[in-house]
Amino acid sequence: MSPTHEVRLPLAFIPPGTEVRLAALGDEIDPLQREQLTAYGLASGRPIRVLQQRPMTVILADEVELALEHAVARHIWVEKSPLAG
Amino acid sequence: VTTSASAANAILLVGHPNVGKSVLFHRLTGAYVNVSNYPGTTVEVTRASARFDREAMLLDTPGVLALPSRSDDERATMRALLNESSRCLVQVGDAKNLRRTLTLTALLAELGLPMILALNMHDEAAARGVMVDIPALSEELGIPVLATVATGGEGIGELTHGLGHAGRAEALLRYDPEIEAGIECMADAITRFAPHPLLAARGLAILYLGGDSVVADWLAEHAGKQFAQLEALRQAASERAEGDLPALLARERTEAADTLATSVIQRAVRSSPLLSQRLGQYVVHPLWGVPILLGVLYAVYQFVGVFGASVLVGLMEKDLFEGILNPAFTDLVSATIGPGWLQELLVGQYGLWTMGMTYALALILPIVTTFFFAFGVLEDSGYLPRLTVIANRLFSLIGLNGRAVLPMVLGLGCVTMATLTTRILHSRRERLITIFLLALAIPCSAQLGVVLGMLGGISFTAVVVWALAMVGILLLSGFLAAKLIPGRRIPLVTELPPMRLPIIANVLKKTGGRLKWYLIEVIPLFLLGTFIMFALDKSGALPAIIEGGEPLVSGWLGLPKEASAAFVMGFLRRDFGATGLFSMAHALSPIQAVVGMITITLFIPCFASLMMMVKEQGSKVALGMVAVIMPFAFFIGGLFNLVLRAVWS
Repeated sequence: MSPTHEVRLPLAFIPPGTEVRLAALGDEIDPLQREQLTAYGLASGRPIRVLQQRPMTVILADEVELALEHAVARHIWVEKSPLAG
Repeated sequence: VTTSASAANAILLVGHPNVGKSVLFHRLTGAYVNVSNYPGTTVEVTRASARFDREAMLLDTPGVLALPSRSDDERATMRALLNESSRCLVQVGDAKNLRRTLTLTALLAELGLPMILALNMHDEAAARGVMVDIPALSEELGIPVLATVATGGEGIGELTHGLGHAGRAEALLRYDPEIEAGIECMADAITRFAPHPLLAARGLAILYLGGDSVVADWLAEHAGKQFAQLEALRQAASERAEGDLPALLARERTEAADTLATSVIQRAVRSSPLLSQRLGQYVVHPLWGVPILLGVLYAVYQFVGVFGASVLVGLMEKDLFEGILNPAFTDLVSATIGPGWLQELLVGQYGLWTMGMTYALALILPIVTTFFFAFGVLEDSGYLPRLTVIANRLFSLIGLNGRAVLPMVLGLGCVTMATLTTRILHSRRERLITIFLLALAIPCSAQLGVVLGMLGGISFTAVVVWALAMVGILLLSGFLAAKLIPGRRIPLVTELPPMRLPIIANVLKKTGGRLKWYLIEVIPLFLLGTFIMFALDKSGALPAIIEGGEPLVSGWLGLPKEASAAFVMGFLRRDFGATGLFSMAHALSPIQAVVGMITITLFIPCFASLMMMVKEQGSKVALGMVAVIMPFAFFIGGLFNLVLRAVWS
């Protein structure tokens, strides 16, 4: 993968232990829930560490641990951060 | 509206959920609120006078994820900001999550109230290598900023001292020029048409443009006819904005908070995750999560079901009440009052003391106490929010998400309290389904104790049959309710607060607060219930009810006809009814005992919970639920009578 062409992936498909950056919150997410995610600090460019994917997606964003159902995590777009493998 | 600047004596605690507002409130007032380690526990504004200044009134507001308000909690907090005569604001923030804290500060600062910022849970931030330059932050914001650890009482003295120096915070940002013009226009109009005695017009303008419905209502009320002009201004500002105006406002605040946070935070590099983080991950682990859950349930059962319901109840009921107190009290009454109806009212079969107080104190109190203690330990450890993750899949079957596990587990303590806690659920549909299931199939700890005591005395199989029946009915009726009630399921998004070692003193305080609440509710009802039983018995109505109920109770449920009395009692509190069945346990066969307990568990929990259902859902919905639940309880009870007689002999 070339560093200039970042590939966007749904958060739900990122293996645990990976560090990624948030790219965008998909329009499929309910507007109220999107506001909720923003309030939790999920803004574009923020680093996210994926802790686990089953039974739900669990991430660490800024020392806040969040659990998200796959129905939501499928519509959160992330990019591999350049620092992490 | 009772706002008046002259008598401004309220100090409002405002902040995100689960940052320790309620613990801080307790530290500052000595008064107790139901503090829990999950959002939504402070469902209403709580007030108490401050320890350090008897003139001042401290207000604990529900946690806000963000403002402008969107959820019930946020609306309650917004109403407090608008309607209380505030002297100052104390924003309570999470030190390890400064960015989020400052995003809220960026909005609160615009309200123009004197404020201070308490950065709580400083110890957890330090453990994660997050260091905040507090003097620099205080300088930037122009208000006192203090580091506190509310659970350990650190920084409380500095906080009360800081209150004296509260000031108006510097604005964190100027919005984009286009948006800024809209804000200024709106602020001018608010100053002209609906000025607030305490809050700055600019702050109200930002909230109103951000789509805050509580602020909109307040402005509509106070601007009268001129509100149309405010609406027109908002419309114009929305149209000018490139995109969704509330989202743009929120994004600018987030960016400003991010810039400020980055400038005052130093992050030490940590090599490995903390023990509490690793433990937190094991608890929701796909493989270890369920065994850990079973272990936790077993420990709670040992503590509440065995230690509370057998050992403590045995000591209280057999040794203390039946052995010492009741004979002594009976002798005293006989000696002073002599035989007659008054003696029977106090110490007879349906005596206020021998039945009412004995049930309430000897049978129920030990069980409820142990349950609330265990629940408090689980809450403060951070386990309960993680339980929502494990339960999510199961709850998705009944149209809910894992968040509903919290009221359901609390319902195993007290259904009335749990009905109130359904406010943490995000949609009306979820609340409706959860309240219905609580009323139908969740036995409260008092009843659970009686059920376990009675069926456990028969056989383990009896307990298992009853438990499977309850879980089956819960899932089946939840599944049907989810199909019948329109609306869609909301996927779970939840914060998982860190796992912590519970501080026993805090757990005890919390248990004490809940017990007080419970006893105030329970003892009058037990006495009233006993009195009604006594009156029915004396007036000859009880024998008539027992006769009248015979076809249903004996014919359909297969119970002795005297069990009718227990069902009459069950109308008041179902554990009271269950206790009534318990007292005739020796006369029941195993099948009769199981059928009786299934029927009474499905009953309406108690009069207080019915009142709470009316309060939360309105009388129409509440009565509708009763109309479904009552016949359903008898129907299912009879069905089990038929099935169990056929297969289990």
